[in-house]
Amino acid sequence: MNLSVKIGNVRFKNPVTVASGTFGHAEQYYDLEEVGRLGALVPKTVTLKARLGNPPARIVETPAGMLNAIGIENPGADGFIHHKLPSLQRIGVPLIISILGHSDEEFVTLVSKFHEQRQIVALELNLSCPNLGKKVLVAQDPQATHRLVKRVKKISRVPVIAKLAPQVTDITVIARAAQDAGADALSLINTFPAMAIDTLRRRPILGNLSGGLSGPAIRPMALCLVYTAAQEVKIPIIAMGGIVTADDALQFILAGATMVAVGTTNFINPRAPIEVLEGIKKYMRGNKVKDIQQLIGGLRTEAAETKG
Amino acid sequence: MPQLQNIYRVVANKKLSPRFYQLCIDAPSIIGKVQPGQFIHIRVNDGLEPFFRRPFSVYRAQKYVEILYEVIGPGTQILSLKKKGDPLDVLGPIGKSFDMPSPETRQVVMVAGGIGVAPFLILTDFLRKRQSLGFDVPKLILLYGGRTKGHVFSMKEFINNGCAVHVATDDGSVGVRGRVDKLFSRIDFNPRTTWIYTCGPKPMMAVLQRFARRHRLQGQACCEETMACALGACLGCSIRTTQGFRTVCYDGPVFDLNEIIFE
Repeated sequence: MNLSVKIGNVRFKNPVTVASGTFGHAEQYYDLEEVGRLGALVPKTVTLKARLGNPPARIVETPAGMLNAIGIENPGADGFIHHKLPSLQRIGVPLIISILGHSDEEFVTLVSKFHEQRQIVALELNLSCPNLGKKVLVAQDPQATHRLVKRVKKISRVPVIAKLAPQVTDITVIARAAQDAGADALSLINTFPAMAIDTLRRRPILGNLSGGLSGPAIRPMALCLVYTAAQEVKIPIIAMGGIVTADDALQFILAGATMVAVGTTNFINPRAPIEVLEGIKKYMRGNKVKDIQQLIGGLRTEAAETKG
Repeated sequence: MPQLQNIYRVVANKKLSPRFYQLCIDAPSIIGKVQPGQFIHIRVNDGLEPFFRRPFSVYRAQKYVEILYEVIGPGTQILSLKKKGDPLDVLGPIGKSFDMPSPETRQVVMVAGGIGVAPFLILTDFLRKRQSLGFDVPKLILLYGGRTKGHVFSMKEFINNGCAVHVATDDGSVGVRGRVDKLFSRIDFNPRTTWIYTCGPKPMMAVLQRFARRHRLQGQACCEETMACALGACLGCSIRTTQGFRTVCYDGPVFDLNEIIFE
């Protein structure tokens, strides 16, 4: 059975990874043998300078999901490289580093810091964090997306993945802009802008007022965006949005995703990525699928034959 | 993926008062590992509602792992329906534990509010165990505040562990009428020989922090926040401290009392 997939010139042993911001650095808590079986790991987004993050409260439980407004708390690129990266490298799984610059120049500097580090096989540009007080995200502007991806592609020695936002009028326009600028893949999708209000205090629950919605609540919407984008672009898509089970992941794969990332579910069931991987294998065995490529984009949309 | 995640069996789920329960879990891999102040993170339901796990301080870890909890929302409501033999998906033990008092400590004062008493029984168990290892056991004092008589419990267990227990309730139904700080005047807080532990509502801990600063007292506070992962991954449970934002799940739940910035 072949589960391996390719992004740019990089081959991953299987299509299952974790979404940025959902896998911890607390390696002593994890069963590293299990983690080592994943196709890739994506740590939390790194910015050039350290960020303290947003004031509490930072999370809210919602129906089948959660809001978060963490605000990209991270130790900055140098802090990450010195304090977090070594233990991630030791796990031995290919790393995709999610980076976020506050300007094109910052993105370029971040790329130069990361693209030659051991074990880092690709960079994911976070163009779509909803919690930084920006009116328009890069991923909501096709020109800005094109310009930034093009600049980064010019210098990056590893494949570049553009992580896009769900809240756009037409995902195909942004997806095409990233592809035309040379992106090696797309990550779809980031969280949906969302709020919750404490009616007793008549105040927003989140310290940041609004946040991003994730979890199974957004899965059908994420699936539709992945399918729509996959119809438009040729580059691979890494899909995320409320994946809990292997069946959820398979839906994204059939819709056109090359890789699938377990995100928020890691917080509820930290074993979910492994369960998803095992479930995909079981499905392939049960349906006599020898190569995962046969499933990617394998959705049947022609009218079902009537039996008579 | 964590080595900490296991399915255990419920041994008992006892109602202590209209709102408070004691849950007993057969969790051999937690026993012997758990330290006072640490917590376990329970998935109360296989489905998606409620979505998050729920964190609970370990109340006791002898033959079984015990927690005390108050039914305050859908998660604890579902937990209250668990029966003997039910499986329970548990992560733990998690978090930074209480430091043991320094050798100069002659008196340990635990200041608890309501369900905040939970981490202190296991603490007194451990302090007593140290006695059998040759340590001097300091005098143990529990200052315990609650809304009514129905909000303070397990005093007998503390007394059995050699604690002097002082109670204050808002309505005076047991102990003195008023908040727990009314009890402070009963204690001789010598800063060189006293060590404080606290757990309870933030306003209560904030009052204690002001008192501790005024009297140069040292101690630790066990905190609680809404948590998603409890593994230091999501950074959702951060609180303000003099060291910047710190996660309650990973950097805590036990912090230096004087480092917390109560808002």
